[in-house]
Amino acid sequence: MDTRVRTGRRRALSGAGALLLAAGLVACTSPGSDSSGGSGSGGAGGGGGGEGLPDTVRVMSIRALTGPVSFAGLNAQKGIDLAVEQIEADGLLGETTIEVDSRDSATSPQEAASFASQAIADPGYVAIIGPEASAQATAVSPIVDQQGMPTVYVQAGSEGVVIGDYTFRITPPAASYFDLAGEYAEQQGVTTASVLFNSGNPTLVQLGQEVVPELASEHGFEVLSTGGVEATQQDFTTPASSIAGEGPDAAFLMVQGPQYPVAITQLRQAGYDGELIGMSAAGAGNLSSAGEGAAGFVWPTNFTADQDVESTRTFVEAYREKYDGEAPNNYAAEAYDAMWFLARGIAEADSTDRTAVQEGLATVAGEGFDGAQGEITFEGNDARVPGVLVRWDGTAEVPVEAGS
Amino acid sequence: MAQDVLNALTLGSLYLLFALGMSLAWGTIGILNFAHGSIFVFAAFTAHLLVQEVPLPLPAMLAVGVLVGAVLSLLVQVLAFEPIQRRATDHRKAEMQILVGGIGIAIIPLAVAQYLTRSVPFGYSGSTFRVTTWDWGFVRVGNVQLVTLVAAFGLAAVIGWWLRAARPGLALRAIGVDAEVASMMGVDRRRLALLTMAVAGGLAGLAGVLLTYYLGSIAPETGDAFLLKAFAAIILGGVGSIAGVVLGAMVLAGIETLVLVTTSGTWAPAIAFGVIFLMLLVRPNGLLGRQEVRRT
Repeated sequence: MDTRVRTGRRRALSGAGALLLAAGLVACTSPGSDSSGGSGSGGAGGGGGGEGLPDTVRVMSIRALTGPVSFAGLNAQKGIDLAVEQIEADGLLGETTIEVDSRDSATSPQEAASFASQAIADPGYVAIIGPEASAQATAVSPIVDQQGMPTVYVQAGSEGVVIGDYTFRITPPAASYFDLAGEYAEQQGVTTASVLFNSGNPTLVQLGQEVVPELASEHGFEVLSTGGVEATQQDFTTPASSIAGEGPDAAFLMVQGPQYPVAITQLRQAGYDGELIGMSAAGAGNLSSAGEGAAGFVWPTNFTADQDVESTRTFVEAYREKYDGEAPNNYAAEAYDAMWFLARGIAEADSTDRTAVQEGLATVAGEGFDGAQGEITFEGNDARVPGVLVRWDGTAEVPVEAGS
Repeated sequence: MAQDVLNALTLGSLYLLFALGMSLAWGTIGILNFAHGSIFVFAAFTAHLLVQEVPLPLPAMLAVGVLVGAVLSLLVQVLAFEPIQRRATDHRKAEMQILVGGIGIAIIPLAVAQYLTRSVPFGYSGSTFRVTTWDWGFVRVGNVQLVTLVAAFGLAAVIGWWLRAARPGLALRAIGVDAEVASMMGVDRRRLALLTMAVAGGLAGLAGVLLTYYLGSIAPETGDAFLLKAFAAIILGGVGSIAGVVLGAMVLAGIETLVLVTTSGTWAPAIAFGVIFLMLLVRPNGLLGRQEVRRT
């Protein structure tokens, strides 16, 4: 599948007109401008941006547009489309336009690796926006890192994704902002907790077996039990009965998105009425089918459309305008940030040379920037954000006010 | 303890409901339909689409599931499996081609459901049926749980009786033993194959709707997860035996529940399938599978 996103070409201006335009771009495209992409990037940007760039730079976006994680890929695509539109309107790359070739990996690691190899073999591609699923990303990373192809990942939270200078990840690990859950548990007076995690997902295993026990010791609660379920678990009756029998003050559920409504519903049916705490996979509409039954469920996340951050509000406003009032989810926000990050790196490099782009990305990462997820900083090539705690109110996720 | 037994029986009933249709088609007309999971999901999904527009009670939802499942299964039989059987040079090749064809066909309704739902779970919040749970002191049980248990064991009993006592059932079993001889005895193979596929699809649709009520919601990929468990239950119980499927589903669910209750749960599938493997070493035809008779 090849859904090329071409966002128009600007014709070069000449003479005084070009000078005037360049002067204008210095004012409105500098990384410090408060335009849609946020502020504070370390990109070269400004009038210098695009001087060493061709008319068009090509980026391959490997997305799961079909298959079990298509909910992530399709939303990410929307975020990328919006970012490209804004970057060009903003003039970050001068007169250069961005051509994003979106390839549907169908959630297959083999397909993803094949597309990455195609991009590497074609000198026209300057960088890749990598696939969402960890299984795909871990197949792609060794190839791109060895061949020197700058790659920015969205999601893909497992080990083995950010493995060298050429691999970057814009989605922060859930563990990096998960302390929000510990603080919440402490505020609610939680003294005991049970943990249920999906044993087929490395991120969820880490949260369940390492992060929550650490939170327990830091925030003064005792973990009564830690239980695993298989990757594709459908029925949670038995673990739900076990947790209800233990009667903890809080139950931490570290499962995959579609498993959340079932696990929550069955816990409530089993008679459990304590606090329910999860992680960011619960977002993106996964709780809709549980409705009121999941009301009160809280989880820390890297993005929610209602978070009180200026750069987030700017993004949400633009997204709603472009997509008929639709609220963006975390996948759209992360991919939007990934595209802006990449564009800033290219602007910093002022070149389509892949090594220069990698160095440009490293420079931008070193300085950080404000994006849809809020203030984005990096630890090495891995992004970090402050995060936000949200609650499902029965119909939508809303930020949890401090102390509530 | 009583709660754990009830949970194991319920989980076994879920596997059984899913596996019954698969087992019926495989054990009689020799069709191992790997599109069964997709039919299951798509029937449940169609009921979901309908209930968003019109509030429907549980019986109406079940009827929708059965109808959609039966129609889809018939379409698969007429448009794919029958042409494969007509063109295949021998029975063994036909079986393999049907197996592969089923996997291919399964992708179509699954992709449609994935596209329309964005792979986000769907449920029946628009239905007039409300899930209720009763606490009887020693055990907690829900109304959907009871319906699931009754439906699974009741349907298994009815199908088992039908295959043993009813004339079409006996004819179907004759096909399962020797299709050529059955034809020579006047059994209309095509008509019975269509009937079997319709019943199998209807059972898949019924299971899809019931499971969606019981779990609260399912995702388009749910069918894939159940397909593996149902396949294991049929093999364990013995292909062609309804009692075997019941036993296989209960043993599988019992082992999984036992592991979940007594350990951290991480090893539940590995231990369950390990035990099944050991059982099959002792009884290769399954716990209640019929012995192969070879005549020279």
